[in-house]
Formats: sequence, structure tokens, C-alpha cells
Amino acid sequence: MQNLRVAVDVGGTFTDICIMDEASGLIRIEKTSSTRDPIDGILSGVEKAGIDLSKVALFSHGTTVATNALITRRLPRAAVVSTKGFRDVIEIRRANKEDLWDVYKDVVPPYVPRRDRLTVPERVDAAGRIVEPLDEAAARDVARILRKRGVAAIAVCFMNAYLNGANERRMREILKEEMPDVPVSISSQVLPEIFEHERFSTTVANAVVSPVVVDYTTRLGDRLAEGGYERDLLLLHTGGGVMTPASVKDFAARLAGSGIAAGAIASRYIAGLCGFPNSIGLDMGGTSTDVSLAYEGQSRVTKDWYIEFGYPIRFASIEVLTIGAGGGSLAWTDAAGSLRNGPQSAGAYPGPACYGNGNTQPTNTDANITLGRLGTSLAGGKVTLDPELALAAVEEGVAKPFGLGLHEAADAIVKVANANMSDAVRLISISRGYDPRDFALVAFGGAGALHGVDVARELSIPVVIVPPNPGVTSALGCLLVDMQHDFSQSCMVGADEADPAEIEALFGELEREALARLSHEGVAEGDIVLQRSIDMMYRGQWRSLAVNAPRPIGAIADLVDSFHAEHQREYNFRRDDAPVSFFRLNLKAIGVVPKAEFAVHAPTGAIPEPASRRRVWFDGEGLDTPVYNRDDLPCGFVFEGPAIVEQLDSTTVVPPGASAEVDRFLNIIIRVKG
Amino acid sequence: MAELDPVTFEVLKNSFITSVDQMGEQILRTCYSFVIYNHDFSSALHDADGECAAQGNADIAVHVGTLHFTCKEVMRHFAGDMHEGDVYAINDPYAGGTHFSDVRLIRPIFSEGKIIAFAQSNGHWSDVGGSVPGSFDVSAKEMFKEGLRITPVRLFDKGRFCKDVAHLIASNTRDPASIIGDIQAQAQATAVCEREILRLVGKYGRATVETGLSAVQDYVERSARSRIAALPDGEWETVDFIDRDPAGGEGMIPIRIKLTIKGDKAIYDFTGSHPVIGSIYNSAFGTTFSAVAAGMKTFFPDLPLNSGFYRCFEIIVPEGSIVDAQWPVAVTGFLMPFEKIMNSIYEMWSKLMPERALACAFNLEYLLTGGRDARTPDKPIFMFYDWLPGGWGGRNGRDGANVTTACFGTGMMAQPVEGQERANPILTTECEILKDSPGPGKWRGGAGVVKTSLMLAAEKTVISYICDRERAVVWGIEGGLPSMPHGLTLTRAGANEEERLGSIFSDVPIAEGDIFSRPTAGGGGFGDPLERDPASVLEDVKDDYVSVARAAKDYGVVIETIDAELCDYAVDEAATAALRDVIRARRVTDARIDPALVAERYRAGEIDALDAIRQHAVILDWGTGELLPESTRQFREVFERRSVAGWAG
Repeated sequence: MQNLRVAVDVGGTFTDICIMDEASGLIRIEKTSSTRDPIDGILSGVEKAGIDLSKVALFSHGTTVATNALITRRLPRAAVVSTKGFRDVIEIRRANKEDLWDVYKDVVPPYVPRRDRLTVPERVDAAGRIVEPLDEAAARDVARILRKRGVAAIAVCFMNAYLNGANERRMREILKEEMPDVPVSISSQVLPEIFEHERFSTTVANAVVSPVVVDYTTRLGDRLAEGGYERDLLLLHTGGGVMTPASVKDFAARLAGSGIAAGAIASRYIAGLCGFPNSIGLDMGGTSTDVSLAYEGQSRVTKDWYIEFGYPIRFASIEVLTIGAGGGSLAWTDAAGSLRNGPQSAGAYPGPACYGNGNTQPTNTDANITLGRLGTSLAGGKVTLDPELALAAVEEGVAKPFGLGLHEAADAIVKVANANMSDAVRLISISRGYDPRDFALVAFGGAGALHGVDVARELSIPVVIVPPNPGVTSALGCLLVDMQHDFSQSCMVGADEADPAEIEALFGELEREALARLSHEGVAEGDIVLQRSIDMMYRGQWRSLAVNAPRPIGAIADLVDSFHAEHQREYNFRRDDAPVSFFRLNLKAIGVVPKAEFAVHAPTGAIPEPASRRRVWFDGEGLDTPVYNRDDLPCGFVFEGPAIVEQLDSTTVVPPGASAEVDRFLNIIIRVKG
Repeated sequence: MAELDPVTFEVLKNSFITSVDQMGEQILRTCYSFVIYNHDFSSALHDADGECAAQGNADIAVHVGTLHFTCKEVMRHFAGDMHEGDVYAINDPYAGGTHFSDVRLIRPIFSEGKIIAFAQSNGHWSDVGGSVPGSFDVSAKEMFKEGLRITPVRLFDKGRFCKDVAHLIASNTRDPASIIGDIQAQAQATAVCEREILRLVGKYGRATVETGLSAVQDYVERSARSRIAALPDGEWETVDFIDRDPAGGEGMIPIRIKLTIKGDKAIYDFTGSHPVIGSIYNSAFGTTFSAVAAGMKTFFPDLPLNSGFYRCFEIIVPEGSIVDAQWPVAVTGFLMPFEKIMNSIYEMWSKLMPERALACAFNLEYLLTGGRDARTPDKPIFMFYDWLPGGWGGRNGRDGANVTTACFGTGMMAQPVEGQERANPILTTECEILKDSPGPGKWRGGAGVVKTSLMLAAEKTVISYICDRERAVVWGIEGGLPSMPHGLTLTRAGANEEERLGSIFSDVPIAEGDIFSRPTAGGGGFGDPLERDPASVLEDVKDDYVSVARAAKDYGVVIETIDAELCDYAVDEAATAALRDVIRARRVTDARIDPALVAERYRAGEIDALDAIRQHAVILDWGTGELLPESTRQFREVFERRSVAGWAG
């Protein structure tokens, strides 16, 4: 009987495997070191966990293979074929810089160098008419040259192809005749949207990672099959759903950023279980913090993202804001004598001062040790930290220069870190029109629960949720997903002249494509959910705003009303008298995967004893504080701050004034008060 | 005022910047002007005295250091008559603004009935009236042709929208509906900043926030001064030129700067700069100040921007000069003097901080076309404004950046052709990197581009062009060579010959079937091109940044083509060594040869513009081949200093 669900999240240091028993809802975690070829780490983890692959009903995977290939540029030789006169769209980009002032900090080069960008005569105009047919002789010549060069992937990017992809499709046919085995991405299929750089860039990223990702998923699929796994391998994409290798082939770049989405999904799901449809995820690790937001049970989605600045990948993606604040972030004094925190990090090696590997600059971890918030024995005793080194670093690095007491200095370090994280949360919440008081904060990652309550208090967020295994929450996210594909289509028309029948027809086409893809992946029709939205704007504005749209489309006036309301919420003003335009139709197609239920626990009434007590510093005061083992805390246990909860992969701080309760899923729910 | 503890200070410093960045984010998402949308905007938080406490991280360089002037001007006008919920507008270049297109909305922020701060949102509107679409008439000599001058006015009165004033402003532009939209968007952006500041007041108290607003300025001042103090005292001088005075004779227009480092202060003296000229290429005091601030900030990239930085330098300008234009002298094209000042500062500071050295960057070009779009029967008005990226200067140990937006605003984005083709009766036939545009050097300049456009069905359509450095060609330093001249060419429908319209003209009628083409220069080279590693030249040839012919002429590198289809080329080492010897032996003589001979050879088709500039330092009318003796004399003077003096042996 196939009654196991397995999710694997491969990170830089660890491969986390999350195993769920469908019958009991119980979850088991296996952590193993990541390997050079991630597949070896996955298989060895599977073996270590004693998983019988033939009993696995669902194997899902968040992978950084695509992201890493793009960042390290370990990519096969790829080529771009574009319209004559437009060889350099992906190098000209929008010509802007990420760092406006540092003239020695460059935008990285495009994924395909100029020498491998060829052009052919052809042209479609702005109305979608072919004003110059594809020059077939030139096209064949290009195909011949590319074969001679031995390129392993090709992107075909023609001007205005979002309106008419005929020339691109013909170009692909010719390339395929010459090189049947080389994958070809065409922009009119990958992303049929206006604006050449964004479309070309997405298509090129898709083409260059395609061989890498297809090779990886094929090998992993084969290894799993050898082990007895009978179903499709499911791969988490940035949109927050999974897809099968059949779709990966055509939309490889959707796997870029796959791992980051997992944390956001888990955060949203856990908050939902606890009765909070609005939640903010705070995933704090060693070097960085990822912040995400879910509103009314939906993750915020953006199309405005990239792996490297200048090269947008405009597939719908869960919005995650990453800042350089983690346990290893360094506290330092700048030239003008101001106390700073991050983004530089001591990393995994040498790591914080207390690791004893030679770093003497204080980090957040050192400050937390100085304050007694973090114990000196981590990972169940596998790692021992040296408190003397932490104290010395805080003393020399911050206390002395600023004339502060030791604990005051450590407190200052932590407060600056908290303020930086709070600013990040503010950017994704308040500045988008969301009121943090309506949200719960889900604190996870190795260090999230150390800082969660402080950040929540800073932002007036009333509740903090610490999941049972904060350090492996991302792997859990991979378990909680549905099959999902996102489709879009440019639709630029004024609301006053929009014909609902035409829009319905356009959505109909997208839906047909969606159904075909999901059924190709083996999803039954009854399990398919289609969600429509339309990007709209006031006529003359340059950015659009997504508004949910009904199926069938209904009255245009209702859509316009929704737009005014959404504009008011997001930007705090509306212009009822201004004309509204449509910009783009979006379709999210979901193949619902039945979710296993988490195990539900009943209150035991037991009152666990603290494993130990120690002095912990809060706002300058050293308080005698109980330290609990997380494993000892039963459902229903209520306790007041100050308290510390330690577990294998994380430490939770419940400061004075806050009260905590262990819920039926064994989450710690903290009412932050104060 | 109380001292702030280090935590509160750091938190406030970051929160102030965040509050300003939030304004920027809101503007981007709600604006109507496509110029704002492409990042020509800025936002600031001011203290109660109008001094700038924080400017946005992503703000355009050209507005840096001007926002506190306009804030103070508004304060002067409405002293004693400012109320909660008020918002004022100003765009006055004669009061520290930039040009009429940059309209600033300013909101006082009150706490307990007292003004504690101001929020300012500045954006480039797509039109502010005047004689041509887009409000850039290069033939203007006085502001009356340029557009609407907005001295401080009240747009919101205690929260009530002053429709009468807004409509007066909007009705003087070509796109009133969008202007009202931008007023709303900018006013709301200042409200975002107000909300954040009041949140901080709620948390830390009014006095602490007020202290913070001045402490962040002191912090920046302290940082900048300590770095300047670490530099040796001394004087550095340079000159750069605007191509011409359309109202004057042949000869380039000098902008002279002498930089003095004295203790912890920098002094910029513009004595010797030319008087104002008969075009829109003049700079009023505010933008001259801004050019200095932005140029210098390039060498302090990590410092936050606020008035503390502006206190570290002084400026001396001769009255009525091109860097001190006064009402009613036309200044809409102030970007031309602005960019000369910025590049001059790059050159001088490259001596001071060689690790951040940078040769000259290409100059902004701005095309304005407008008329009736005859693709549809109702023939709506269209306005096609376009600007292109180009190459930046070679650096110490690194080539210049290819195809990057102009230095006046590195956040400014190039526009998508597909968007332009939808909105305008224009088909772009080419928008590509321009081979051989990079200025040669040991570290070459970045590459520029060329864009060619075909006019589709249109009526009553005119074209104007705002550009420069057709004669004051983008220069190299430390022995590096110049790039290439700017200038637009037009081929009339059915004509065989192209006609050169150059880099500055206004209101030229064009019609269906006409084709116009504009190149942008690459960056200037850094260091002697004969010292460039032949392997780097080889890579440039493979990528078509440099042609095989110019690899030989400019770098003395002889490259054989083995199989172009495989990008297979090879350096002929022996021939390269020999050719480099030949060039070394004759290049100084070449650069001093009689310019009249060079002009003759150019007209005879024996040499091209790149030869004339890079080998002979001669400036011609690139259309007729006529020698421009005074411009050549001026060009050679700086070429000797920047290029010839840097050549070893």
C-alpha cells in the first residue's frame, strides 16, 4: 500500500527530507548533508530514513538546481535567434543598473553572449500582421551554423511575437529539422506578453536551464523508479505549485527560485491551520531572512523578479523579499561611528565568533548567546558553542566602542537586526496596504523563533506561530502543494470598449491549454480548479493591478468596481471618474492533490518541568528563566514569558509579557502583547 | 537636543530611507507620465528647516541636491500659512529646481500642531506645455517658449483638493487627464511618507524624531568629511565643452572647473566658464549644484544622500555664466552642461581616487516626435519621446559598461520597442549594439547602440533632437582614445542619400516612409590601447564589439579570420608586435598633423570619422567634411592632455 508522502528540500548545507504517514498524519524529519550531485544526497537521505520507495504515493521536490545553474553560469552553450536588427535586446535590457552610484559594480552579462545571438529577416507589426515573412533561406543558414557550433539549447525571440507566433513556430520547425534533439524555447509560447526584453529574457533563461533541469529531473526520476517509486516526480516551481517532468521540459525556468517558494507555502498553510488566513512568514537562517505574505489564504504573487538583476523571469512567482539578516550577520561600526548589522555575514565558516573558527567580529548569534537567549549546545549536543568567545566579540566589537555595558551592547545588536527585519516586513505589508495587526507572524528557519516576538511587537502583529520543526519548514512546504500552472495573455483594451464575449473567448483558450497540460500530467478533470484574474489600470497609468475575475466573466462594470476597490486598498486612493483599461488576462490552473491531514493531538493536561533554568537578559534586566525541551511540551500546555524553548533545529524565545500555548498541531502560539 | 542611543539612531536612519523608498515605490505603481514610470523621479524627506534628511536609494542622479532648494522656496512662500493636509507644487528652475518638466509636490508633516518635517515627490511630467510636444524646444532662448513655470502654489488646502489650481496647471499641458492623475499619485506618495513619520513619532516621540532628522545629516557630513580629510590637499583643473552656441559662431563652449581639496572640504570653482548661450543648454544654480553633488557622490557610493553631504563642498560660479543661468534664460536642456560637469568631476576624482577612476561616459540623447497617428481614421495625437543607452568610460583595470543609461540618471530605463510601436506610428528596424563605438584603451569604453526607425502613416509630424558631443566627442583618459560623434541622420522616403541633421535641431517635418537613425557613443577608453591584451581584443572581435579592421587601426592587433561561422579567429602575434611598433612611432605626429589635410582626406573618402577623431584629433562637420578649426583647436588641447600624454614611447 502506498501511504507515504515524501518531500525533499535541497539546501546549500543540508538536504531535508520530510516524511508523512497518510494514515496517522505523523511527520518525520531526516536531515542529511547535501552532496555535490544533489541526487546522491537525496537518495542517501531516503535510505537513511528507511523509506521504501514502493510505498510512496507522492514524492515532491524543491530544487535549487536551476537557480544555481543560472548564478554560477554552469550552463550549456546556448543560442538566441531573433529578428534582424534586434540581436542585442537581452544585452541592452532596460539599460538600468541595480546600484545607481557604484560605477565599479556592474550588471552581470546576459546568459547568452553576443557571438551566439544570431538574427533572421522577419517582422510582425504592432497589430500582429506579418509585414515580412520569415526568410527561410536565412533561417536554414542560421540552423546550419548553430548545428556546426554544437549549441545545446536555443531561444527564438521575435519582435511582437506575443501577438502572432507564426514566424517563431516556423523558425522552430526549421531548427528542429536541422537539430531534432536540441530543445527550442519560443517566446510566443513561453510568455506571450508584450515588452520584448522581459519576454526574451524569460525565454532565454528558460532555454539555457532547460538541458540542465531536464537532465537532473530525468536522472532523479530514474533513480527513484529504480528504487520502486511508481508515480511522477513532482517538482516545486516558483508559482507555489508542482509540475511533472513532462512540463519541466517546456518551462524549465519555472524551477528557478523553487526552494524559496516552499517556505512561503508552508508558512501560509500552517497559519491557515491555526485559523489565520492572513500571515507573514519570517524565515530567518544563517545569512539571510526571507519574508513572505499571505492574505485571505493566498500568497502574494509577483511577476517582477529575477535571479540576477537585469534578467527578469516573468513567470508568476510567490513574492518573497530576501534581506541580508541572519544568525551569522555581522554587527559592525561604520566609518562615521554608526552601529550596523549585516548584510555581511560570517557565513557557515568561520561562522559566528562562538564557533571558535577564528572570526572575532560579533554576530547576531553571539549577541543572543550573550543575552542567554541561545544555549551553548545546539543540534542536540552535536555543536558546542563557546560563550566566552561570543562575550569577548560583543565586548570588543560593540560594547567598548560605544561605551555600553556588555548586555546593553548585545541588546543593541539584536535590536538593530530586529529593526532591519521589521523594515523588510513593512515593505511587503504596510507599504502594500496591509495592516499588520490583522496578521499572524510565522517564525521559522533556524533563527526565526529567536527574533519572532520582537519583530511582531515592533510591527504590532498580535500573534506569533512557531511550527513544530521550524528548521525544516521549507521541506514541509513541498508536501503541501497542488499541481499548478500559470497562463497569461496580453489583452490591452479600454474597459469602456471591452467585449465580455471576447474576453471570455480569450480565457477559454487559456483554459483549454491549461486543461490539456494538466490532463497530460495525469490530473483528473474533477480535480482541476481554474482561477482567473485580470490585470487592470487607470488608462494612462503604467503599472497594472490584478483583480480576481469570475468564470464566466460577467459584467465589465463589476470588474471595474473591483479594480477601484483594489486600487484604494493597495494605494490608498481611487479615481472613480477616470477611465479604466485592461492589460492582461491571467489564469491559474490547479490540479488539486489530496492533502494528508496533520496529526491532531489532544490536550494531556500534563505540565512539563523545565529542563533547566538560566539567566536571560530582556531590556537590560537579567531574569531567571525556565528552559524547556520542545519535545516535552504537550498539546494544551500554557506558559508565560520569560521562557526559552530549545529543540534540535531551533530555539524559541518567549519574552516577559508574552504568553504561549501549544496547540493541537503542536505549534507554539505566542500572544505577544506588550 | 538629546543624544540618540546607537540603536535608535540606526533604526531612525533606516526608517527615514525606507519611508522615502516607499514613496518611490508608490509613484512607480500609480504614475501616468511614462517618463516617471521609466524612473525619472525622486523623493525626499526634509527636516523642519527644509534641509534634506533622506533621499531615495533609487532616485535619479539629476535631482540630487535640488530638493532642499525647492522645499525651502515653498516654505518662504507659505511661511505662517501652512496647515495639516496641505500640499504645494513647484517646478521653478530659477529657485533651485531642474527644469519645468520636473514638478515637485511638497507636503508639510505636522505633529501636535507643529511642522516637524516635509515630504517631497518629484516627477518628470510627460508635458508641461510650451511650443513643442514634450516641452523641449531647442530653439528657445527664454523660458516663455519652454513651458509652464510653477512658482509655489497650493494644490491641497487642509486636505481639500484645489481643483481650480490643478486644472489651470493641467490645462496648460498637452495631456491634462494624465497630469491630474500624476498630481494625485504624487500627493498620495507624500501621504505615504507622512504616515511613516507619524508612526515613528508615535513610537519614539516627536523630539526624538526631530533629533534623528538632523542627526542623520550630521552622520553623513561626518563620514564624507573624514574621507575628504584623508585625501591630500591640492588643486585639479579640467575643461569640457558643449558642442556649440547655435546663436554664436563655430567653436565649442567651455565649462571650466577647478577643484580644490582643503582639509575636509572640496571647493569647485567654475571661473572661466562661458556665458549663457542662445539655446536651452544652460544650467541654473540648482542644477549646477546637483551636477557637482551627483558627480562627487559617484566616489562615495555607499553614503546615504542628504544635506549633510551637500555641506562638504562649496561652489563658486561666475554670474550669468552657462552654469549660473538666471530668469528668463532657457534651461530645459540643462542636462548638457550637467553631464559635462559630472564627467569633469569623474576625471578629476579619478586622479584623487585612482581605484575608482572612470573615463568619459556617452551623453544623453533625447528624441521628440509628435503629430497625428494616421493608422486609424480618428488620427489621434501621438507623442513619441525616446532616449537611448550608450557606453560608459573605461575604468582602472576594467572595461567600461556596455549599453547603460546616461550618467544623469542610472536608474532611468530604456523603453521597450513593442510598447512604442503600439502607441506610435513608428516601426523600429534596428536597435542594436554599435560595432566599434567603444573608445579604445587598455580598458576600452563600453559599447553604444544604434536605433533606426521607419515612420508609418502619420500627418503633421515633426521631429526634434536634444543631444550633444557631436564635436566635444566622448573622451578617454590616461592615454585612452575618444569614442565617436553623436548625430541623427534622416533618409527621406524614396531618397537614395541620407541627410545629416546632427545633434541639435527642432521641429523638422517628417512623413510616412522617412527613416531616421541615431547612434549613441561608446565610453571613452582608459589607458593606452596599444597596451591592451590582444586576447581581450580577440574576444571583442568574436563578439562583434570591435571589427577586425579597427582592431588593427586602434589597437595594433592583427587578427586572422579562420572560420567566422564558428567565431574562430586568431591573433597574429608577430604581425601585431610589428604593427604596434609602427603605430607607436607615428601616432604623436598623426595627432598633430595639419587638420586641413585630414579634412581633405575625409572628404575624399580615404578616412572615416573614427580615423579623424582617434588618430588625428580633428573635428569636422561630419556631413560636409568641412573643417571646424576652432573646435579642432579646443579638442586637440584636451586630447594632448588626456590621450597623448598617456602614451609611453
